[in-house]
Amino acid sequence: MAIIERPSSEVVVTGGPTVGVKPSEALGVFKRPAASTSWRDWVVTVDHKKIGIMYGVAAFFFFILGGLEAVLIRMQLMAPSGKVLNADQYNQMFTMHGTTMVFLFVMPMAAAFANYFVPLQIGARDVAFPRLNAFGFWSFLFGGIFLNTSWFLGGAADGGWFMYAPNSSTLFSPSHGIDFWAMGLQITGIASLTGAINLIVTVLNMRAPGMKMMRMPIFTWMVLVVQFLLLFAIPVITVALFLLSFQRSFDATFFDVASGADPLLWQHLFWIFGHPEVYILILPSFGIVSEILPVFSKKPLFGYPIVAMSGAAIGFVGWGVWAHHMFASGLGPVSVTVFSMATMAIAVPTGVKIVNWVMTMWGGKLLFTVPMLFSIALVVQFTIGGLSGVTHAVAPSDTQQTDTYYIVAHFHYVLFGGAIFGLFAGFYYWWPKIFRKQLSESIGRWNFWLMLVGMNMTFGPMHMLGLQGQPRRMSVWTSARAGEGFFNLGFWNRIASIGSLVLSLGVLLFIVNVVYTHKSKKVAIAPLDPWDGRTLEWMTASPPKEHNFDAIPTVGHLDEFFHRKYAQDATTHEITQVATAEEVLAELNSHPDEHIHMPSRSYWPILLALALPIIGYGLIYNRVILAVGVAMVVATMFGWAMEPSTAADDDFDPSAPGDGGGHTKELAPLG
Amino acid sequence: MSTVRGMKERSAGTVKMPRRWGRVIKSALFVSSSFAVAGCAKDAPQDTWQPAGPNAKMIDDLQRPIFFIAGIVGLIVFAAVAWSVYRFRDRGQAMPEQTHGKPVLEVTLTVIPVLILIGVGVPTVGTIFDLAKTNDTEMTINVTGQQWWWEYDYPAVGDNAGVYGISEPIVTAGQLVIPEDTKVLLRVTSRDVIHSYWIPKLNGKKDSVPGRVHLLRMEGSEPGVYAGQCTEFCGLSHAYMRMEAVVLSKADYATWVANQLEAYDSPSADNALAVEGEKLFLQQCARCHQVNGLLNADGSPNVAAPDQYVVSGAAPNLTNLMTRNTFAGASWDLLTPECRDDVWNATPSEFGERYLAGVSEECLNQKDLRQWLRNAPEKKPMYADPTKLAETGGKYRGMPALGLTEDQISALVAYLLELK
Repeated sequence: MAIIERPSSEVVVTGGPTVGVKPSEALGVFKRPAASTSWRDWVVTVDHKKIGIMYGVAAFFFFILGGLEAVLIRMQLMAPSGKVLNADQYNQMFTMHGTTMVFLFVMPMAAAFANYFVPLQIGARDVAFPRLNAFGFWSFLFGGIFLNTSWFLGGAADGGWFMYAPNSSTLFSPSHGIDFWAMGLQITGIASLTGAINLIVTVLNMRAPGMKMMRMPIFTWMVLVVQFLLLFAIPVITVALFLLSFQRSFDATFFDVASGADPLLWQHLFWIFGHPEVYILILPSFGIVSEILPVFSKKPLFGYPIVAMSGAAIGFVGWGVWAHHMFASGLGPVSVTVFSMATMAIAVPTGVKIVNWVMTMWGGKLLFTVPMLFSIALVVQFTIGGLSGVTHAVAPSDTQQTDTYYIVAHFHYVLFGGAIFGLFAGFYYWWPKIFRKQLSESIGRWNFWLMLVGMNMTFGPMHMLGLQGQPRRMSVWTSARAGEGFFNLGFWNRIASIGSLVLSLGVLLFIVNVVYTHKSKKVAIAPLDPWDGRTLEWMTASPPKEHNFDAIPTVGHLDEFFHRKYAQDATTHEITQVATAEEVLAELNSHPDEHIHMPSRSYWPILLALALPIIGYGLIYNRVILAVGVAMVVATMFGWAMEPSTAADDDFDPSAPGDGGGHTKELAPLG
Repeated sequence: MSTVRGMKERSAGTVKMPRRWGRVIKSALFVSSSFAVAGCAKDAPQDTWQPAGPNAKMIDDLQRPIFFIAGIVGLIVFAAVAWSVYRFRDRGQAMPEQTHGKPVLEVTLTVIPVLILIGVGVPTVGTIFDLAKTNDTEMTINVTGQQWWWEYDYPAVGDNAGVYGISEPIVTAGQLVIPEDTKVLLRVTSRDVIHSYWIPKLNGKKDSVPGRVHLLRMEGSEPGVYAGQCTEFCGLSHAYMRMEAVVLSKADYATWVANQLEAYDSPSADNALAVEGEKLFLQQCARCHQVNGLLNADGSPNVAAPDQYVVSGAAPNLTNLMTRNTFAGASWDLLTPECRDDVWNATPSEFGERYLAGVSEECLNQKDLRQWLRNAPEKKPMYADPTKLAETGGKYRGMPALGLTEDQISALVAYLLELK
């Protein structure tokens, strides 16, 4: 339920879970915006579901952008001495590919799922701070756009996504690209940090009655661990980016060797952020897959407490391994040993999950829907990526592997084969709940197989390339280093490049599936619970009403929804279905909560977010623009604080006809 | 009963089965066979599994069993997934037992990986410290990276002088030359951004960081030339920053050192083109490129001052250019392809003689060398925008295009051939 302000004595507390709120005196200049069904509603919405959808659409757009950058890279590297991109363009391309995929695709797409489903999974009506949630989304969007305008304003950043100093200084990278990169990531970092605070408070405070921590769905658990990681990791990269920006814009000397600085400072700061960051990237997908495998195995997640605790363990130990990115950086054998051992240690909680996933399927009743296919593929591909990771943990062999394509293979197996396959599993699994239709299973199968084959064709050969000595981040490779024999660098590079085209085709089929599903008249509206789900988000309308639940359920078990549908005979242990999903929902809705208060729409989140790139442009180009941006930040913060706490029509009683300001609080169906 | 809509395969369960199983097997086979097939790649010059020196061998001895163990673990996981997918697919059976976990199994399957990792970790620590050993060093060489080439400085100190005859410092570029079976220590640093020194067949890599000196052991067991590459992203021409390590027998090494220390000889008068080239070199090249013993017109020794003209402050020393066989950051060969094959593919016993023969006129790769002299920035990307020289106080980042005529280039080439 929404945070309560100033309960009014004029409204009788009826014993339901909400209390009526008297709208505060209008202190602000503007009233809260009214609800509408047009595009305007999306601009002022604070509804976690709409925000989740916007995160998803924007993130997917950046996925396509990052993918195009990747295909250009692969075309350049298909043959020796490639001519598709010159060295300058190539350096910008791989920098932006990595930056886009990490910061503008995987992180926000995980945020999309977290935003949409965490409140539903815990039986809440929204997040703790809805305006902050909206602000986070707009910051991410404007930050991502700001970062990409650099392409048209003198060139994008060209120092690699890891941006090592001193190569990142103005002497070695004179264009504004890196300034755009640093500012853009600061802005998107604000989105991540505010999102983290929001979701932590939401999960800790707003769970439905009876939902103890160990009854939370596992996806919510993984998201919670990720938010704690973000909370502590984002400040580190914020500091690093500030040091870099001050050096580039104001001649500070944080990384200037001539002034006595040590370039390794940047590396330490970046990787103290960077290593937890990779767990931020993978854990949400682990959560998604941990939801899907049980549903399509018709068994609970094997070892739920271990899976939850190992997620937390990974989050914790993940802080102690950062310098495994620096085994060749000149650390000294003692440091190298410590980080090498810590990196081996972290393989344990990760490996535990693989065991638990396999044991979930073991003895089950497996149904190979498209989400299940993506999930099983994640288990296999993450294992491959994880095992190559263990070979890097061995520091001496890492001094041969680091900065070669073997590392590129490793992280693409865990990030593409792991994180991205998990996200696609989530798309197919949750699509019917969000958009009322199931994506086509037959197109989905083509989507899956092409992506699977394409992914392995692209990144499998990179293991060979790396072990045969091809370094990373090279704008060309030469036949002089390619080796004789059929299976030389040339062979593997060619396969990898062709694979990237197959992979692109697979991704294209996903888009085709979405368009077909929503344009075709033949695709029926999906039922409420198409997969026989186990968790609370399925115990709602499709899509859920704006207030999520007519009545907040009281939770008695892990997999609460499953337990409402099925009962187990105490003696025979036979499981029978006692209620359909529709019956369970009807029963829940027959006693709706009275007087639900929903958070109100607001202009200020998007306006405040808009001020941020203005500050960015100002810092790069013109102090006047900077002043305007700062003034706008101050003004919008005041507006945010002073606006009325609620709009009149956000208090309503779902059972009373005509209440709610004349609209039904059902979300307009999409497509 | 809520049904799973849109599931066309309910009736085709048996048809789909081999594909499910097939998928897992396919990806497992692809990856594992790839590793097997890697062995078929002959002579990738930077192959990390073909050690030619004791340091690389220590790494290889450690990594082989670990890769093998990783492979076995992978196969076990693939087999478990494949078996589950086959055995437990929906064949219309009843809802399965809702097992929540089996603590004994979970603990066992956690303890086993821990034990495996301890088995991997212990030899790892040993190897880390073995590789870091430097107190038995027999020769020291200073290696400096800068955009986009490697400089070698063989100081005339200690055993360098006493045992190996390096009585004066030798400064070269591109090809590191070391004696066989000698514990050489490289002291690696940088003049500008971070680079990384890597000769895979001899040892793992070590970053060259400005303001820091890192130590890297280099030891070759057999005469030959060993390819390497800068492996830390360092800007525009990171892809064109290569090097080689050349290992010579101890006798051949002494010959090499003596040749490097021989006094400079101007080209003889009957090589008019080379004489003209020497003059041209003094005018166009000598302000950045040092050639020891080269005299100015007034008889004073020419001292190159690249710190005034180049951002990194250095340019390759060309004193005995034709005793090495790559140039421009080892990005191109000084040798024609046939002559190159002769040297690079020589057996260990033949190698020393062929390498020491240097680059003759018949073997000179005229094409690449002339292109370089004609317009270096066009050949090797060295600064994105020449108009941005203002940012670097007018200093070049790499060799500029000098606007030489073809005749001037011919003269220079003739002169460079004399630098042996």
